[in-house]
Amino acid sequence: MEPASLLEEIRFGYGPRLRAARAAGGVDPDRVLAQLTAPDPEGAAWARPDLATRFALIAEDRALKKTGIGANARTTAALKDIVAADQHTAYARPTFAAAGFVERLVNLWANRITVSNASGNVPRFVQSFRDEAIRPHIGGNYGAMLRAALWHPGMQVYLSQIASIGPDSVQGKRRKRGLNENLAREFLELHSMRVGYTQEDVTQLAMLLAGMVHDDKGRRVDKGRVQPGKKLILGQTYDDSDPEAEIDRLVANVALRPETAANVGYTLARHFIADDPPADLVDSLAAAYLAHDGDLPPVYRVLLSHPAAQSPDRQKLRSPQEYVAASLRLLGITAEDDRFAKVMRRMPQALLAMGQPIYRALRPDGWPEVAQGWMTPPMMAARIDWAVDCARLAGDRIDPVAMVDTALGDLASPLLKQSATRAEQRWEGLAVLLGSPEFSRR
Amino acid sequence: MPVDFVLSRRAFLIGCSVAASPLLTPVTFAAASGENRLLVIVLRGAMDGLDVVRPVGDANYAALRPTLAADRPLDLNGFFALHPAAAPLMPLWAAGEMAFAHAVATPYRQGRSHFVGQDALENGTGGAAGDLTDARDGWLNRALSVIPGATAETAVSVGQQRLLILEGENPNQHFFPVSESDLSLQGQTLLAAVNAADPLFAQPFAAGQDLARDTEGMALMKGRENHAQLGHYVAEQLTGPSRIASLSLGGWDTHLRQTKTMTEQLTALSDLVLAVKTGLGRHWGTTLVLALTEFGRTARENGSGGTDHGTGGLMIAAGGALKGGQVWTDWPGLADADLLAERDLMPTRDVRAFAGWALRGLYGVEASAISQVVFPGLDMGSDPALLL
Repeated sequence: MEPASLLEEIRFGYGPRLRAARAAGGVDPDRVLAQLTAPDPEGAAWARPDLATRFALIAEDRALKKTGIGANARTTAALKDIVAADQHTAYARPTFAAAGFVERLVNLWANRITVSNASGNVPRFVQSFRDEAIRPHIGGNYGAMLRAALWHPGMQVYLSQIASIGPDSVQGKRRKRGLNENLAREFLELHSMRVGYTQEDVTQLAMLLAGMVHDDKGRRVDKGRVQPGKKLILGQTYDDSDPEAEIDRLVANVALRPETAANVGYTLARHFIADDPPADLVDSLAAAYLAHDGDLPPVYRVLLSHPAAQSPDRQKLRSPQEYVAASLRLLGITAEDDRFAKVMRRMPQALLAMGQPIYRALRPDGWPEVAQGWMTPPMMAARIDWAVDCARLAGDRIDPVAMVDTALGDLASPLLKQSATRAEQRWEGLAVLLGSPEFSRR
Repeated sequence: MPVDFVLSRRAFLIGCSVAASPLLTPVTFAAASGENRLLVIVLRGAMDGLDVVRPVGDANYAALRPTLAADRPLDLNGFFALHPAAAPLMPLWAAGEMAFAHAVATPYRQGRSHFVGQDALENGTGGAAGDLTDARDGWLNRALSVIPGATAETAVSVGQQRLLILEGENPNQHFFPVSESDLSLQGQTLLAAVNAADPLFAQPFAAGQDLARDTEGMALMKGRENHAQLGHYVAEQLTGPSRIASLSLGGWDTHLRQTKTMTEQLTALSDLVLAVKTGLGRHWGTTLVLALTEFGRTARENGSGGTDHGTGGLMIAAGGALKGGQVWTDWPGLADADLLAERDLMPTRDVRAFAGWALRGLYGVEASAISQVVFPGLDMGSDPALLL
């Protein structure tokens, strides 16, 4: 009997887990989409403090700091611990997730709409951004995700929105300060439309956004920073009567533009299918997006049902984070496994060497979504180092030939199967598998 | 149950060279009463016995191995000669502290798989298919149960991999004293092949390997030091409460460029054995070292200056307790008709018999216990008189 293809878990997840049930038989759109509404035990198991908790701790830290030197040692340490533990979730969730599609989507959208660990308070908010602005919306509406992301304090700090002041606002006139266009520009260029707007649209949007605040008292618009008067953005007029509502109306309008639909379609197709995705697929995705007013699951369904989704030709390269998750899943490591603690210690350095330090994308456009971004010689050497160390970790009681089957099923080439067989020790056979292009492709 | 004590220093160190020196894997120890000591070295990857101890007196030998027979080996007994890279061991031979068993093999005859072959060797099974005994434990572990006075104090296995040979019900420990080295040449070759087959990966992979090779000289130095360091460490344990130790040495899978690889391997093995001798001091006189491999290699060299998986192979013995200076063999010959399947050296004796006689001689284990408990179904055959 032909072994069933494991494409679904490889292309739309983080690869098969050792000793776990296999999603065999190729890509089943219903089965994949069911993951979106299934209970989320992995998310719950690695739950992180929410925004309110973080704000409270930051406020307490500030208050204590004023009372004397070193008075805030406890709260500072607690904040540091939170940031460190946040980063563990980046590999723990994909490693332990039963439903890999959910984690893939979280990482995809949190990369399309990037908040990276910059200086200041940003590191304290990145996990909350992912958990509270991105994750709740991956199976919902893209406009709602855009809105949550735009308003999240992580985003507002990361893209300097907190520094933006309407030049003719009360504060602008008093302090002789003005706009910071950073968030307005990236919102249009990266998060939503990508093309089809002008510099004037950016400036007008920056006027509209001036005064946005999201702090421990919640989200609102600081009246003192609001630019008075009407703003003309992409042909629509927004006024200053209720800035918060007007901002949300702007987001809703932009979310439903054809350029945004095309960007969403392109983002999905490029992430899951090919660095240079088929134009008909991108068009179909965009059409589905518009037909369903920005609801994402129907768009995913088009993606999952397209012939390219079933193709055994795996054109995409696993990002380093996907790669390490896939290898740990293959080893069958559990959270209780003492090997996991060892891996946790090694992980930050390993990912740095492979080119993807956790939560530290270099630019607002996020991590590379194409193979060439991960294929420099030192990054490749780092993958091989990981493969070797990981294989040693698995020890000498594994059967590398069986591991090839677990990882790739009938996708494994004769060359890889033969090479795993011919290694002189079991762990070396596993290293050959983990270090092979076939394992890096998805 | 064995317990991990120490993690390798290299574990989780990033940025190290992927270029390899031969592999060191964990050391395992067991304690027994008395002064006699046994060190079992598992040579992983299938050592080419015909290259290490060459049957230069066999009329068919030279023609089978035009490349490998080209250098000048060191005469042992007129018929057999030692690979020149093992020259550091010649003083042991001269002093009667080294011996060999040739054309030997485990009972595993079906498949020539490293994994199955190594398991069969360490498990001590008598199955021709390499099927393991029900307990799936190691023969040296079972031996602990029949060695009079063996204690549990012992046992240490170290690093990320344990040796099956000492796994089982009887307590033992596991340590890993030296830094790990990386993939064997064979492992590197296989990895390079799977990457070369993918146009996207071929160039960056090769360039990454070049980067790694820039530090190879240093890595090799480290590798050499490691073998001596490992030998001293083993000796240190055997001068303490431990009387039985086991370790493995990989890198013997010489499918290509065997001349180079074998030189490195034999240098490593020599470093290791000589460091054990030095470290043991006067205890060397009551020590036996057995180096076993999963199977031998093809009688003919292949088209890439190496040899492929075979059957009949070589056991190396050393130590002050040894009645050395001899090559035990019922030599089968190298004519086509003499070879197994017209390709492999025909095994003429079960290599387990030598290990069995060693346990009998060193620890007084009953013959019945050896053929029933340690090596089920073993016909021990005549006494090769291993020990002084």
